[in-house]
Amino acid sequence: MNHHLVLLPVIIPLTGAALALLLGGRGLLGGRRLQRGQGLQGGQGLQAGWALGVMLTSLASSLWLLVQVSRSGQPVVFQAGGWPAPFGISLVGDLLSATLVVMSQAVLAAGIIYALGSQEQAVRYPAFYPLFLTLATGLTGAMLTGDLFNLFVFAELLVFSGTILTAISDDRYGTEAAFKYFYMSLLASAFLLLAVGSLYISYGTLNMADLARRIPANPGAPLLPVAIAMLLATFMIKSAVFPFHFWQPDFHTASPTAVSAMLSSVVVKLGVYGFLRMTSLLFVEQAPAIRALLVGLGVVGVVYGGLGAVGTHNAKRMLAYSTLAQVGFILVAIGWGDRLALAAAIIFTFNHSLIKAAMLMLAGAVASRAPVKTAAFGVVTGLGKSMPATGALFLVGGLALAGIPPTNGFVSKMVLFRSGIEGGQYASLAAVGVASILTLVYVTRAFQRIWWQPPLEGGKAKPTGDSLLAPALLIVAVLALGLWAAPLVELAQATADWLGSPAGYIQAVLGG
Amino acid sequence: MELLTAIAVGALFSIAIFQLLRRNVIRSVIGLVLLSSAINLFLLSTGAYQGLSAAYTDVVGQKSDALPQALILTAIVISMGGIALVLSMLYIVSARYRTSDLDEVKGLRH
Repeated sequence: MNHHLVLLPVIIPLTGAALALLLGGRGLLGGRRLQRGQGLQGGQGLQAGWALGVMLTSLASSLWLLVQVSRSGQPVVFQAGGWPAPFGISLVGDLLSATLVVMSQAVLAAGIIYALGSQEQAVRYPAFYPLFLTLATGLTGAMLTGDLFNLFVFAELLVFSGTILTAISDDRYGTEAAFKYFYMSLLASAFLLLAVGSLYISYGTLNMADLARRIPANPGAPLLPVAIAMLLATFMIKSAVFPFHFWQPDFHTASPTAVSAMLSSVVVKLGVYGFLRMTSLLFVEQAPAIRALLVGLGVVGVVYGGLGAVGTHNAKRMLAYSTLAQVGFILVAIGWGDRLALAAAIIFTFNHSLIKAAMLMLAGAVASRAPVKTAAFGVVTGLGKSMPATGALFLVGGLALAGIPPTNGFVSKMVLFRSGIEGGQYASLAAVGVASILTLVYVTRAFQRIWWQPPLEGGKAKPTGDSLLAPALLIVAVLALGLWAAPLVELAQATADWLGSPAGYIQAVLGG
Repeated sequence: MELLTAIAVGALFSIAIFQLLRRNVIRSVIGLVLLSSAINLFLLSTGAYQGLSAAYTDVVGQKSDALPQALILTAIVISMGGIALVLSMLYIVSARYRTSDLDEVKGLRH
């Protein structure tokens, strides 16, 4: 029974998605026109409640997985169909996967809560909740699988769901942005498949543990550098890292708030997960070169994302650019690559997901009360007077994003800078440190525009808007993890230790 | 045979990338279709030359590797779905802008 545990976080949302389609009632089959302002009723309400229940069950199962893994110190491995490891498909829940899955599913559950209280038309789309659950399945599966081709399949599931969820957005440019993203993602899957083929032809296996064992035995395979480059490109597109970033601000601005909060916080972390696996498991010998590249890309991302965020005129777009910068911090930490830096990368990844999801939900909540539904500063300036609660939450979230105590953002930045000092990485640390001031600049600017400036001519906030429950929950988590940071820091350090010894992973999957 | 496949894969890739970069939406989708075919052919070639007889038959001799064929089946299904989705989104976008030129689709330029 124990090794079936790793299946649950994947199976529960997938089954839930299929059943949610049936629960939609007259939604899919009746094809009725959806009208603005219509409340959740009948089949829709049932479907939404079901989706939330499924997501919470799944979150419970992934928490259980994390507890199991961190207690025993050994990953939970499931061999699909009973085929032994290099031949069948393995699902591996090790510390890294389990931590990231708990993070993702917690934020995804908050996303469903936000969607329940959202005024947007998009959440009343009959397939919204089923797609949300398949998005969860794709993300979870991609993090838990131990097989490269399986990773491709789950990543495609993630991309398809994300694309459709954005294409149905209330924003009139949703379809365009989704189209752009989907094109880039098809290219990413092309790169991934090329990497899969190159590795298969060189080493005759696609199991990640088996690859990790065979690559050091034959590091001179002619197609190995090709595979590394292709995998890097794949994960760079997934994480919107600097040269492949251009679709990201459009995509994350145009999607429905509940979805963009997921895309910009947890979905981009798939690439981070990929980089961690590449440098600590698959290509350990080639890791120094990959790390050097990641530090460079990370610094560029931090500076570029920060400047981009300062220069935008839309709160949601600003937060999307800020994701570029924050992912940059994580890449720099992965690039430094020693134990403390890896722990910093994991803490940063975890904390940023919570902060960014909350901030995007708050920006969406402000936009939902704007006269025209947009988060553009030209419209929302001064609207904050009538929503002090949103302002307070936004302020805390903003401080967390900038890394000011007592929030969890402070913890992640502190560990990151300390690891940089201890690792002696002064040049990149200085660049990142200076650029992180930009975070404070754009966050305070947004806060000041929305809450402190006088309202614009004719700018009157609507009396009701999206529910604040989900961002409030996330902000509570942000503060809790800031004040009581020890468990997460210890977990991240244990994970970094685990990543330092790939032999354990290989042995757990292949046995013997 | 190996040389022929290599040339075919290379030619498909170059045509695909050329078409992908065109401004016409239909041509760029054709590029995408060709790209997925090129990749499938590449994946097939990774297992095609291990043996000459078909996998899972009673024929004696070295069997060819069946895994890449299974991978391609999956990849074909996924890319078919993807291309259907791209075409549907293109239909919406090009109907809104009444153009087939991607350079004229510029609602997102701020």
